[in-house]
Amino acid sequence: MASAVPATGRELSNPPSDGITNLRFSNHSDHLLVSSWDKSVRLYDASANVLRGEFMHAGPVLDCCFHDDSSGFSVAADNTVRRLVFSSNKEDILGRHDAPVRCVEYSYAAGQLITGSWDKTLKCWDPRGASGQERTLVGTYPQPERVYSLSLVGHRLVVATAGRHVNIYDLRNMSQPEQRRESSLKYQTRCVRCYPNGTGYALSSVEGRVAMEFFDLSEASQAKKYAFKCHRKSEAGRDIVYPVNAIAFHPIYGTFATGGCDGYVNVWDGNNKKRLYQYSKYPTSVAALSFSRDGRLLAVASSYTFEEGPKSQEQDAIFVRSVNEIEVKPKPKVYPNPPA
Amino acid sequence: MGKKKKRVSSKVWCYYCDREFDDEKILVQHQKAKHFKCHVCHKKLSTAGGMAIHVLQVHKESVTKVPNAKPGRESTDIEIYGMQGIPPDILAAHYGEEEDDVPSKAAKVDIPPTQLVGGMIPPPLGTGYPPRPTLPTMPPMYNPAVPVPPNAWMVPPRPQPWFSQPPAVSVPPAAPYTQQPLFPVQNVRPPLPATAPALQTQITPPGLPTSAPVPVSQPLFPVVGNNHTTTQSSTFSAPPLPSSVPSVTSVMSANVPVDTHLSSNSSVTSSYQAIGIPGGAASNSHSYASGPNTGGPSIGPPPVIANKAPATQPATNEVYLVWDDEAMSMEERRMSLPKYQVHDESSQVSHTTSLIDGVAFTSNQMSIGFMLPVFRFSCLHIVSYLKRYILYKFLILF
Repeated sequence: MASAVPATGRELSNPPSDGITNLRFSNHSDHLLVSSWDKSVRLYDASANVLRGEFMHAGPVLDCCFHDDSSGFSVAADNTVRRLVFSSNKEDILGRHDAPVRCVEYSYAAGQLITGSWDKTLKCWDPRGASGQERTLVGTYPQPERVYSLSLVGHRLVVATAGRHVNIYDLRNMSQPEQRRESSLKYQTRCVRCYPNGTGYALSSVEGRVAMEFFDLSEASQAKKYAFKCHRKSEAGRDIVYPVNAIAFHPIYGTFATGGCDGYVNVWDGNNKKRLYQYSKYPTSVAALSFSRDGRLLAVASSYTFEEGPKSQEQDAIFVRSVNEIEVKPKPKVYPNPPA
Repeated sequence: MGKKKKRVSSKVWCYYCDREFDDEKILVQHQKAKHFKCHVCHKKLSTAGGMAIHVLQVHKESVTKVPNAKPGRESTDIEIYGMQGIPPDILAAHYGEEEDDVPSKAAKVDIPPTQLVGGMIPPPLGTGYPPRPTLPTMPPMYNPAVPVPPNAWMVPPRPQPWFSQPPAVSVPPAAPYTQQPLFPVQNVRPPLPATAPALQTQITPPGLPTSAPVPVSQPLFPVVGNNHTTTQSSTFSAPPLPSSVPSVTSVMSANVPVDTHLSSNSSVTSSYQAIGIPGGAASNSHSYASGPNTGGPSIGPPPVIANKAPATQPATNEVYLVWDDEAMSMEERRMSLPKYQVHDESSQVSHTTSLIDGVAFTSNQMSIGFMLPVFRFSCLHIVSYLKRYILYKFLILF
């Protein structure tokens, strides 16, 4: 408490021993759920900087999310979808995919768990039931390619896959996608996140670009979409372009943070097409980002993401930083003085 | 005297930094490169106001000071183009003294033009009248000094409606300064009378047209009279009536080129605004970013082409993607390492079978991945960056 907080934020104790795949803040508290390549999922109290729980898996854990403050879900490279009960430190398997499961989201609107896998399928689960594949699996939906990223807002689900495919579903009618799209970026999709206001989604690629898209297919709405470059640097006459690994939207202001393999975190105002802030450089690639429920904290996973193959890695770390309003609040527009 | 005469006739200078040039064309180039250049995209605009509007419309930033300008001359409201648009007092001070103006002194000098304007009224009435009203109005001069600022405020709006008819866009800000560019033109024409009193006499001529639209001449008169007496008693004692007539003629003749210039300025401004809107859709970039700016603002097709060509070529040669494997994600590549392979021996036979299938699937992906990167690498060399650039810009616009 008394010690000065470094520019990168306060570092959490007991970080994972290998790369971090994702981290998420709870919707009800300052708890943080972290999944890692060291086959563990860890629960932290971000405010108190205390490790509250640890769940070991048979393979690297590729994603995790909260159900409520007492339980969460994780998906791993052993093809399993697990439920984690924090209070008793127990876990049970909801079901399996045929290949490593890449991402997981829990829909509060539909009361269902959605998982995406490299077996080119999307599955929905009802977590209220007892263990057993037959009783909890709600449906399996084939995808054109391996699933790389998922995002939910309201009843809308956006699925980004390999081959730059983007499918948009309505959770109330999963029999076929509401829209089938292709990414407007020319390189591999890295992350997709929906706008908090439910009007569209942001999609990032390995080529240091983020595309801002809208669900409404009318000409007026589509005219608003655009893309911008980020996470690049010039060095010795070369433009080095880094993948944009993470996008996190601020829950109140609708601005968003991006993190890339260049180790930087930028905050953007999507409406006014402005960059609001750039945090100081983190020790290595920024693998994941998450805002707390009230937007006062931002969790940053500084963890090598293998973009340059295997190499002797630096220490993986989780930083939790306080967010100043000036960093994330959109600046008011300045209108020119009307002619006399 | 002779030397000063030569300077006036052959040298032009920059209002913002006082630098002298032999040719006004070079002066204009200097102003565009040093004072009217956008600090974000390095585009050269033609005027300070145009540059401020461009920065606001395209880059959403506000510019209140002209870059690289001396203190007191940073205002973007004054429309300078070469030697045109320089306030008369600044011009007089520049030729009268070789020393640089002090900011406070410049502020004081700003008031005299209005006073000089008022001072022109007495001469047409008659020689005898001017001295008599001046003396009795000496005591109330201090009181009218207070309303002088509101009078100065009233001066700009008055001329605006009269001049607003021909050009519509830039007239309001340009109107108060329309009178000022007239002076340098006149000054250049009669270089022969190099005597000091002659120059001072020429200063007063532009006051005539402004005095007509100004309805409140009485309060201006006493204040002007005071300064007039204090600063130039010789001029007061000898007001030349015949000189006022030819100065009016020269003023009227000078109006034509000024209006033409204003209209050209307004067209430039409107084109900025038009281009600024699609430019707003431009991609935003990291502070260290370089390479082609997909949304770069531009005026007319030629500048666009000129700007694109040099920017895209080095980008094509020098862009380096940290992760360029389109077939596999970073996680998939990492998963193929032995370290991360799943060994779940406790699972049932059916699970073991699925695991084997999973591993095989991964192996297939890996083998495919080995081939595709080479193909992709070749494609990156064959495919022109320019084509992707154009296609990409097309995608953004629609």
